[in-house]
Amino acid sequence: MKGFLIITALGIIAMLLQVFKLKKLLLPITVLGILTAYVFNFLEWNQPFSISYFENMIAFDKVSLAFTGVILATAFFWFILASKSYEGEESMIDHFALVLFALTGAIMLTSFKNMTTLFIGVEIMSIPLYVLAASRKKDVLSNEAGFKYLIMGSFASAFLLFGIALIYGASGSFDINEIRAYITANQGELPSFFYAGVVMMLIAMCFKVSAAPFHFWAPDVYHGSPTLITALMSTIVKTAAFAAFMRLFLIGFAGVSEIWTGILVVVIAASLIVANLTAAVQTNVKRMLAFSSISHAAFMLMVILANVRSSLSVNAILYYSLAYSIGSITAFGVMHRVSRNGNETVDSFNGLSKRSPFLAVCMTIAMLSLAGIPITSGFFAKYFVFTAMIGTAHKWLLILAILTSAVGVYYYFKVIIAMYFKAPDTTVELNTDSSGNLVVLITTIITLVIGIVPGYIAEMFTS
Amino acid sequence: MLGYTITQWLFGILSFLAIMFGLLVVFSKNPVNSVLYLVLTFFCIAGHYLLMNAQFLAIVHIVVYAGAILVLFLFIIMLMNLNEDSEPQRTWLTKIIAAASGGLMLFVLIGSLKGAEKLTLTSYGAAQTGMVKNLGKVLFKDFLFPFEIISVLLLAAMVGVILIGKKETK
Repeated sequence: MKGFLIITALGIIAMLLQVFKLKKLLLPITVLGILTAYVFNFLEWNQPFSISYFENMIAFDKVSLAFTGVILATAFFWFILASKSYEGEESMIDHFALVLFALTGAIMLTSFKNMTTLFIGVEIMSIPLYVLAASRKKDVLSNEAGFKYLIMGSFASAFLLFGIALIYGASGSFDINEIRAYITANQGELPSFFYAGVVMMLIAMCFKVSAAPFHFWAPDVYHGSPTLITALMSTIVKTAAFAAFMRLFLIGFAGVSEIWTGILVVVIAASLIVANLTAAVQTNVKRMLAFSSISHAAFMLMVILANVRSSLSVNAILYYSLAYSIGSITAFGVMHRVSRNGNETVDSFNGLSKRSPFLAVCMTIAMLSLAGIPITSGFFAKYFVFTAMIGTAHKWLLILAILTSAVGVYYYFKVIIAMYFKAPDTTVELNTDSSGNLVVLITTIITLVIGIVPGYIAEMFTS
Repeated sequence: MLGYTITQWLFGILSFLAIMFGLLVVFSKNPVNSVLYLVLTFFCIAGHYLLMNAQFLAIVHIVVYAGAILVLFLFIIMLMNLNEDSEPQRTWLTKIIAAASGGLMLFVLIGSLKGAEKLTLTSYGAAQTGMVKNLGKVLFKDFLFPFEIISVLLLAAMVGVILIGKKETK
């Protein structure tokens, strides 16, 4: 809770810096604030049980603290990565403040206990991102991305609200524990509009994690937004949305799983097939990563489908979101350096191994991790998903997942081949950015370390 | 009257009017007319709030939605000068798919609400739930956290508007 309050205050402090003309202090203060929030997060970790605040509106248990940790770590790297690129821009403080507010919403999503906090968390996270997606004002694609995200996101929010209203109408409560108790008490005689509400909330959450067939916004928004904002969307937003998804469906609606598992099976199968096949024909790396993020969403949904709130599935989602977020930060960090004037085609990576061997190696490791090749963390992420899934009735999804992952290897390797086996188109030197290099280096090391010794995170929750 | 109480009559009339105006919002060709019908729909819904003994909500609904937001809508529509000619033409395929998915949604909702009339509603209108005093107690005690944290949402929206609207000096 203290970490949450610090991040909220940090957004306001960032805006005050503009008033006092202390723009130089922005990055140090932001980074220090995130580290402080991290320390408080660790201190709360040692409490024996979860503590709820404000009449049970928000509660921090170990699961939400762990996801908050992943989000804060990603944000830490993001701010350092972004500081160079927004340096000298007038709107730097506005950008940072908006991202900090989005973080507030993301942390709310990891720890909500009540439908009102869920809804407000979703909105606080989304509204800054609608703006940030459109922040390259003179770029038509960026404008389109922001507009599309706003319209589609509002539509999903409407579904979320309608679902919450129907569930409230049946159970008479917004509290997810009370809804859970209501389901157990009325097992078998729940009114049918309660089920309609659950399905509507499922649709809204699938939209937020961009799973097919609710994924149509994702490629355009990821492609059109500035690269750094895309990095934000595919890491922090995804992690927070999955934490919320898990909390809502594995705690709140676990008793009516027969209603939502059937839909989820279709969603997962569609996401795997559509995302991987479409990604294979993309020439733009950013668009390709957008489709690959849909396929990663399908993997994380598989853990929710397994529908056991055991330590196994929590560990699997936690590990997956950490591996995916860190790998994405590396990939987007390198892409941000390589691309010029919004051109992020595969060709722009041609001969990167000669222009900058360091960046090429880091990008290779990130791609291997996203593809799920051993000794990188991506391999164990997929491995834990498969172990969580193996005991369920949907084993055929595993076969589908393995087949589509093979397609995934093809498109991730396209980038690697371009970097190592093609002659560079330009002789233009990449601009030096030491802090950006440092972030890429550290995230690459993390990818390798948690891939070699996955135990610490993979066994975080034992019970 | 015909075995119904006056409240039930009012409920029926208001519901009928709300649905009629709602349909007119969708079907009228001129966007300005649509917005005006929307105002009338909101008035009918405010009437429903009054029937449910929620006076404060009814007044807020009229002041905020009909008064402020829809006037904003009207301004924007008039500034953008929307009319039938500038509407993009959609293909028949899109229309059919949209109608089919919308119809399915309606079907599911009607189907799921069927049977709901058997449920008994407790504390409907009887308790003073909608009165300002009780509303304040709920808002500032049980829902204090959402009430306070929504200020972050409003702040973020304001910063966002400034970020988009500010003219770049370079």
